[in-house]
Amino acid sequence: MSCSVLDEEQFRLSCQLLLQRSDQLGDGWSWEAVQGSEEGYLRKTALRSVPSDWGPLHDQKGFSSHPQPQTLCDSTGHEKEEQDPAASTGSDFLRAEEEDAGSYTVTNSSSLVLQYEYHILFSCSYGAPVLYFRAFTLEGRSLALEEMWSTIHPNYRLCLQNCPLNAISQQEHPLLGQPFFFFHPCRTEEFMGPVLQAAPDQGRPVNYVLSWLSVVGPVVGLDVPLQYCTALHSTKPD
Amino acid sequence: MASDISGASLSSEDLKLQFAPFSSALEAGFWHQLTQKKLNDYRLDESPKCIKGYYYNGDPVGLPTRLTLEFSAFDVDGPTPARCCPALGMLYNTNTLDAFKAVDKKALLEKEAKEIWEAIQSGAALKNPSVLCRFILLTFADLKKYHFYYWFCFPALCFPEGLKIIQPPVILEEVFSPKQISALQEAYDGLCIKRGITAVPFFLMKYADDAVQMALLEDWEAFFTDTKKITVGVYDPCTLSQHPGWPLRNLLVLLAKQWGSKLDLVEVLCFRDQTLQGNRSIQHSVLFQVKLPELPNNSVCLKSVGWEKNPKGAMGPRMVNLSECMDPKRLAESSVDLNLKLMRWRLVPSLDLDKVVNTKCLLLGAGTLGCNVARTLMGWGVRHITFVDNAKISYSNPVRQPLYEFEDCLGGGKSKATAAVDRLTKIFPGVSAEGYNMSIPMPGHPVNFSQATLSQAQKDVVQLEKLISEHDVVFLLMDTRESRWLPTVIAASKRKLVVNAALGFDTFVVMRHGLKKPHVSQSVYAATDSSTSCSSASSSSSTPAGAALSVPGSSLFSNIPGHKLGCYFCNDVVAPGDSTRDRTLDQQCTVSRPGLAMIAGALAVELMVSILQHSEGGYAVASSSDDRMNEPPTSLGLVPHQIRGFLSRFDNVLPASLAFDKCTACSPVVLDHYEREGFSFLSKVFNSSHSFLEDLTGLTLLHQETQAAEIWDMSDDESI
Repeated sequence: MSCSVLDEEQFRLSCQLLLQRSDQLGDGWSWEAVQGSEEGYLRKTALRSVPSDWGPLHDQKGFSSHPQPQTLCDSTGHEKEEQDPAASTGSDFLRAEEEDAGSYTVTNSSSLVLQYEYHILFSCSYGAPVLYFRAFTLEGRSLALEEMWSTIHPNYRLCLQNCPLNAISQQEHPLLGQPFFFFHPCRTEEFMGPVLQAAPDQGRPVNYVLSWLSVVGPVVGLDVPLQYCTALHSTKPD
Repeated sequence: MASDISGASLSSEDLKLQFAPFSSALEAGFWHQLTQKKLNDYRLDESPKCIKGYYYNGDPVGLPTRLTLEFSAFDVDGPTPARCCPALGMLYNTNTLDAFKAVDKKALLEKEAKEIWEAIQSGAALKNPSVLCRFILLTFADLKKYHFYYWFCFPALCFPEGLKIIQPPVILEEVFSPKQISALQEAYDGLCIKRGITAVPFFLMKYADDAVQMALLEDWEAFFTDTKKITVGVYDPCTLSQHPGWPLRNLLVLLAKQWGSKLDLVEVLCFRDQTLQGNRSIQHSVLFQVKLPELPNNSVCLKSVGWEKNPKGAMGPRMVNLSECMDPKRLAESSVDLNLKLMRWRLVPSLDLDKVVNTKCLLLGAGTLGCNVARTLMGWGVRHITFVDNAKISYSNPVRQPLYEFEDCLGGGKSKATAAVDRLTKIFPGVSAEGYNMSIPMPGHPVNFSQATLSQAQKDVVQLEKLISEHDVVFLLMDTRESRWLPTVIAASKRKLVVNAALGFDTFVVMRHGLKKPHVSQSVYAATDSSTSCSSASSSSSTPAGAALSVPGSSLFSNIPGHKLGCYFCNDVVAPGDSTRDRTLDQQCTVSRPGLAMIAGALAVELMVSILQHSEGGYAVASSSDDRMNEPPTSLGLVPHQIRGFLSRFDNVLPASLAFDKCTACSPVVLDHYEREGFSFLSKVFNSSHSFLEDLTGLTLLHQETQAAEIWDMSDDESI
């Protein structure tokens, strides 16, 4: 059997182990079952602060039927077209409140806080796990693809965008039918192959999903604590 | 210690205690749920509704202190995420933006503050301290635009003179031993377990060298019996080392009100509980020594604050535009686009989708071909589609014409052009479709019966000219040969790309018309034009135009540039090798194999897309069947002149042929007359017998294929 291809059963098993450890570590993963079906996915939400100076966007040219604000620095971009509703709400009382001596306001314009939602699904066609994710501003607005690229560290971004197919693109979530970003799984086998082949020689078990996640996750701000692995080795010898 | 040094330099002014306000954090699910509630439950009800948010004390440094509302906010009795503290709030959802603006923010805040104050005075807040951490959310949901206006308020009561700390705040691990820290953690977890919850918002605390005890606020009297030192813990969502979060603010008012007379100083533990990389830590919690002011012993409510600043840092509401992710029409649009983008991302990276999507297409004919062309255009994301047809939908149509249904045939039948628009809009609301129920005047079909018919014909011509000018690509999809003449002439004159599809019983032709070179300038054009027409008039040869100019030795029918390609009338549609039938396709048009229109319609659109992907567009050299093995000229492959299909053999060929200098539609002499004389020339063509065009071009009749067939057969044979 080709050792770098994952079947659905192994995927489930990997996910179960990951979940167990996540519960112990308080890492926040949960299994979401799709109602009326056997299918499901791992889900985690996280908050991430993205520096706003991660350089200009390098979006693919050629398709922009819905122009989006090009940077995230101004999260209120949409507001500008609108008449500012605050104009008529000002009052002495509010102005007085603005000077509340008891409150300490942080003015942090050098970074933007985003709410991330990560899903791990199994792809039958690639025999691999696939990372789906989406990101929202604190107002609840989801990021457009162009904006999402600006939240990827420049080192990763250049590398990912220079491959013939952008490694991150957008597509409908196979189970939810909503638009999500996703990491294309076509290269997964390429980097998982060596990991899995080396494992028996080194006499250590590999949790496919965990090892894979530790590669793709950090690109989009999803860190995988080292404790996952140390624990797996000590408590799951087979 | 560093804190001592900095502490020594601090003036009393610097030792003011300042609280980090909450930042509202809304998940998209909250807005989805609010929309549902507004549509199904609240409707026009503006009365306040109870909702629930939560806050968390385990954030990494650098994140703002948040109060989060997600889709579950409307389920007040539902679970709160593990290790988070719930916060209850009142939702005031107004019906209009004006009402949103007009709401008395001061009164709203004071009403809420008064309730907190009363709970503090009565001591109810001791039993139910969650009343200390409440919020107000004022919203207006514009569900037409999916714009949401909102303004949060986190009411806090203020001490008239502010609050002071007697020394700079210290980090827990600077004062607590590791043993004490782990005892503290155990005590907190024990309190949680005892209460059956995963987070305790406020607690009382006693500690010694090796032990820590905790109790709830309500157990104050029993807990602090003989202790001079009072330590109070607060579940603190703030990550700043010098400031506590907002929840402490009202707690201190409660402490001052209840025990201010007995207490001068209170130690506050801002309890922060972080799990990073699988390691839990509480040692970064902060201790404040707060001087507790005595509150006046009357029942007047303290001044209150709490409206959130907007992202500009000013007092004002916020607005979020969620049309991209909530408006079903926008969702459909972005899904359609997404599907196309995937084609580019995965398979054809150099595909220029903008070119396709932004192409304005004029479909002359909304029958079997028109319906199939329109659907394929929609598949490519083309947004601008215009139909012209004068027919009504008949009972035989819906099975072959996928934009119509049985209902459309009733009562004499709807107009095809308008019914097609309705259906396109139903299929995809993002389309911008228009329909024109009009006839296209035809050669040999007189329009001079009366002044009325003549002026109607003139109006139709003007309308057609206007439509062709306004579009980028003209599709000829009618069921007669004659009706294609006028749009061929107009489009040739206006240098518009024409894609033509015609059906036989089991054969079809899909072709692009040659795209004449742009008019250079009026004077130059007139000069060359007159010379060409002179030369062509004087020439007795019937060889296709341009043949004389081609490089000797090169094949007559290879590498023909787009501007030298023929039009429908230069190239008859008789299938090669099938000329024994001696009938043109359009004569057989009403009977064709049902799959043919779908094949030809789809090919017509795909041909257009391939042309658009070529850097030279309509001027692209025609690819032929021989080019099938060569490097394709576009990312999508070949750009042929014609595709002729033979369903009986399941075979397509790609002939190319030159423009014919005596063509009845696109020859210079016809275009010249049309451009100079306009409708007076056209009406002569409509009203005269075939001999008029024949005389003009020196060609045989438009309608008598028999004589012309020999020429056309020859060109067909040679092109293959």
